[in-house]
Amino acid sequence: MEASRPEMIGFNAVNKFYGSLAALVDVTEQVGRGEVVVVCGPSGSGKSTLIRTVNRLEEIHSGSIAFDGRDVHAAMSSSQLNRLRSRIGFVFQSFNLFPHLSALENVMLSPVRVNGTPRAEAREKALALLDRVGLSAKRDSFPSQLSGGQQQRVAIARALAMEPPAMLFDEPTSALDPEMIGEVLSVMRGLAGDGMTMMCVTHEMAFARDVADRVWFMDEGRIVETAPPDDFFGRPQHPRAQRFLSELRVR
Amino acid sequence: MTMLANIADIVRENWLLLLIGQYPNGPVGGIVATLMLSALGIGLAFPLGVVLALASLSPWRALRWPVFALIYLARGIPLLLIILWVYFLLPVLIGRNVPGFVTMLVTLSIYQAAFISEIVRSGIQALPRGQMDAARALGHSHLSAMRWVVLPQALFNTIPSILSQFVSTIKDTTLGYVINVPELTFAAGQINNRLLTKPFEVYAILAVAYFIVCWTLTWFAHELERRIAASRTNVTAAGGASLSPARAATAEV
Repeated sequence: MEASRPEMIGFNAVNKFYGSLAALVDVTEQVGRGEVVVVCGPSGSGKSTLIRTVNRLEEIHSGSIAFDGRDVHAAMSSSQLNRLRSRIGFVFQSFNLFPHLSALENVMLSPVRVNGTPRAEAREKALALLDRVGLSAKRDSFPSQLSGGQQQRVAIARALAMEPPAMLFDEPTSALDPEMIGEVLSVMRGLAGDGMTMMCVTHEMAFARDVADRVWFMDEGRIVETAPPDDFFGRPQHPRAQRFLSELRVR
Repeated sequence: MTMLANIADIVRENWLLLLIGQYPNGPVGGIVATLMLSALGIGLAFPLGVVLALASLSPWRALRWPVFALIYLARGIPLLLIILWVYFLLPVLIGRNVPGFVTMLVTLSIYQAAFISEIVRSGIQALPRGQMDAARALGHSHLSAMRWVVLPQALFNTIPSILSQFVSTIKDTTLGYVINVPELTFAAGQINNRLLTKPFEVYAILAVAYFIVCWTLTWFAHELERRIAASRTNVTAAGGASLSPARAATAEV
């Protein structure tokens, strides 16, 4: 973490196992307020597991994770955990929009049902968010009527509707056709430009280069290298990172 | 043609008995009793089935096991036997008489709820895990996620199976006959016993009556399914979609 930034997300000696397989090993890192961190690494290296531990969709076996000063994995009532999760924006690889609700209703549901926001107010805000992701015209469309890129933009608006201080992205463009990746990334760029704290698992190296403050490289459950993108792409230190990047270039 | 004439005569002479039984000189019977038993049975069995499905998916054994025990009983024992058991045993156990109608209603509701719960459970489990994950990530409690995200999809997807169960609930009300619940089959039995020589005609009336009731329910369910499906894929300009009543009832945020 850059010295000037206070901490938003902090991993402290986090370990997690699937049976005898170590999924996360001694992960200790911080994401600062307003910082954009891109997590990359080969498949199976623990990137998705790591990001899913932040809102406790995955449990950990030892260590601790702080979000905005709260210990996420401490013993707490389920309503406390729900409140904490409602403040952590999460965007999934497979969008996971609710198919029985229109785009507008997808964005309105949680503010109304979780936070108790009056419908009129939630609707107003949802319309503004759909506008922000460029989908005002699609507000009455259902997920099955939207392209992948449009669905993911609605999913981002849905997460933003809870006004989270930070957003987590778990491979947000991996399920998209190539021509739709750009529209999602440009929404994410806009968010980063507005100062949103972001932690993003992605294979989009151009995005990492342009937008990230730091890149974390993971291998076999460990964060083996963290560096500003220029350093990471120009002078990777860890041999595994060097190999990973050279394989990307070949592709 | 004489047979049709006979049927017409039987209906003309017995329509009140077929309609309401011996009411007001006795309990309400006939097709009215059948419809009441069916409507109340379905009305109780459906919400109970959904609750049982949620319990069967609960992380707590204390909630899961009683549900599975009930399901195994319902699957393994004919409804007729359960009805006879409840009819003879319940008054002994609680020390007072239970009207046949109540015995029938309670037994039927719980029995059907067991099957409905399995249908609903399969509907819930068939949804992608990501739906629950997304709802929880947004801060919904387990029950809130079920109520607003999972069940609206699972119940819609299982309408055909749930409908079959509803129809079989209607048909199972005929078993009230054996514990003297004066529903439609019982009324037909009375008529047949009196006429003695026209069983085919009497039971043809009965068959047609049940067919009409069940067909009506099936039609209604298909209509509901069609309306919900339409409300969930509406592309027309804003406004048109939100006027549909089915949507207001089911997809309202």
